[in-house]
Amino acid sequence: MKAIRFLIAFTLLSIIAVPGYGQAKKKQVLNLFCWSEYVPQEVIDGFTKETGIKVNVENYASNEEMLSKLLAGGSKYDLIQPSEYVIEALIKAEKLEPLTLENIPNIKNLDPKFTKLPHDPEGKYCVAWMAGTVGIAVNTAKVKTPVAGYKDVFNGTHKRRIVVLNDSREIVSWALATLGISANDMTPENLEKAKPILAEWLPQVKVYDSDSPKTALLNGDVDLGIVWSGEAAILWSKNKKFTYVLPSEGAHQFIDSLAVPKGAPNKENGEKFINYILKPEVSVLISDAFPYTNPNAEAVKLLKKSQRDNPASYPPGEPKLETFQDIGKAAKDIDKLVTDLKGGKK
Amino acid sequence: MQAAIAAPDTGGTRRPGLLGWLLMAPMLLWLIAFVIAPTVILLVYSFCQRDDLGQVVYTFTWDNYRRIFIDSDTGEFGTIYFTVFVRSVVYAGLTTIICLVLGYPVAWFIGRAPESRRNLLLTLLMIPFWTSFLIRTYAWITILSTNGLLNGFLQYTKLIEEPFDMLYTPGAVVLGLVYSYLPFLILPIYGSVEKLDNSLVEAAFDLGAGPVRAFQKVILPLTQPGIVAGVLLVFIPAIGMFAISQLMGGGTQPMMGEVIQNQFMQARDWPFGAALGMTLVVLFAVVFWFTSRRRGAAEV
Repeated sequence: MKAIRFLIAFTLLSIIAVPGYGQAKKKQVLNLFCWSEYVPQEVIDGFTKETGIKVNVENYASNEEMLSKLLAGGSKYDLIQPSEYVIEALIKAEKLEPLTLENIPNIKNLDPKFTKLPHDPEGKYCVAWMAGTVGIAVNTAKVKTPVAGYKDVFNGTHKRRIVVLNDSREIVSWALATLGISANDMTPENLEKAKPILAEWLPQVKVYDSDSPKTALLNGDVDLGIVWSGEAAILWSKNKKFTYVLPSEGAHQFIDSLAVPKGAPNKENGEKFINYILKPEVSVLISDAFPYTNPNAEAVKLLKKSQRDNPASYPPGEPKLETFQDIGKAAKDIDKLVTDLKGGKK
Repeated sequence: MQAAIAAPDTGGTRRPGLLGWLLMAPMLLWLIAFVIAPTVILLVYSFCQRDDLGQVVYTFTWDNYRRIFIDSDTGEFGTIYFTVFVRSVVYAGLTTIICLVLGYPVAWFIGRAPESRRNLLLTLLMIPFWTSFLIRTYAWITILSTNGLLNGFLQYTKLIEEPFDMLYTPGAVVLGLVYSYLPFLILPIYGSVEKLDNSLVEAAFDLGAGPVRAFQKVILPLTQPGIVAGVLLVFIPAIGMFAISQLMGGGTQPMMGEVIQNQFMQARDWPFGAALGMTLVVLFAVVFWFTSRRRGAAEV
């Protein structure tokens, strides 16, 4: 019996002790919930040095992971970093706190192309962190014919030499683009139209990889792929034989933004952080580490020429770009379609 | 699990005393917190729906199970998940057979080695586990890729002209699975081999049995508990494995684990993922119950 009593006492003690430990410190903090490999440590250290606010960082690997942790409650985050379609869904569900723009004067540095976009038309809830596109990376040492769009990738000559993102919505949106249908028009009829195209495309794919599609290209296992622009930018900087093409049919532009979730305990610290990363000299540090498209016009001016010339980070010309919007329950139909076709269903 | 298989004839109806319960308490708490409670949550989720954000809505529905068994386009019994399941069973089965063929002699060798050397051999078996599983898998990617070490070596030694495709094939998936699970088969068989009484084998020889007969009639039945435990320890986790089929198979031939993982992450459809998981659990339980009952009947 003594053992049981000890066990009970011990359990109770640990329950009481843990929260008490957290309350003991009354220091200013910021709980940052961000993508892994996206926020340089330098930036976090610089922020703490300037403001004295301690930053607790927690990482996630996908928007979906972030959503499920955020919605499960329990943890209180001050700042999250979702992509545009998730921001839209969160605004719809009233899960975001409107920003106090007076606290973020540096917002003026942003390129107007990246403010007040369809997912946040009033620009009240989020501030762009980094943007990027999904396009075609080509190993020109292996592929001699020109590749301009999705149709050239899947024209049958590159059978089993292709890597694509392992993301059902992306894959379906490419098929829709060849039909001239918007990526946000995921109606059952449009999915039905995309089906025969995907049935022809998917058997040609050798690798599905969202985390590091560059690996298969670098290792020579595939010759071309549809990948994140950041991945393509790294490929290009390693070897100029890897070019990046934005599909002529239209490409997906994603914009990851910082936002404050509802009920954040330190909203003001979150705004301070946003203001800090909008400083041009800080924003340059982010570009140095992660060569996506920097939405900060003042920071882009400070970049090295080699950075600005990287076609994957700053695509030349006026490409046809589209951002994703929230499609709600259609995500389920899309997953079913792609799972069926991957599994070899006719 | 191993103990239960190794000693099925506990017999009697002696109930554990207070001390027994106390000793079992940590294990029971563990089981309740990390096996039973999650399974119950999974069961509840599998009858729920999801909302637009992907949150679970507690409204009863059979839809998730219907989607597993009935094709929504044709209304017929049989869906893509059957194909995926059969593929998973084939991969896992192949893995188990290869592991058994490779692992049994190794287990025998270690079990029969002089006692002083046994620990060294077992340590060698465990050394790969000092490195993270993912890193070991990435090492295979480096070895097998087109510009990888193996192709490079074969080309250097002029054994092949052009590099050939090894990574991102079904063969690569099975190789990865065998590599990961081989020790789980060797260890339980080693346990049985070590306990095997050599005089029984000698008796078989004295009574005129040849090596094949002695193996069949004496050694195999006596090491069977180890074999069964090892097979279960390999086959069941192999069916649910998703990292290897994704990393080494390129995701083109999804296994059950991969499809389930997708529901929880990408598709944000926890209820359907839960239904797939529950179906697997029930299937395993039925197969396990059936085989253990047959074994029980055979022993009587």
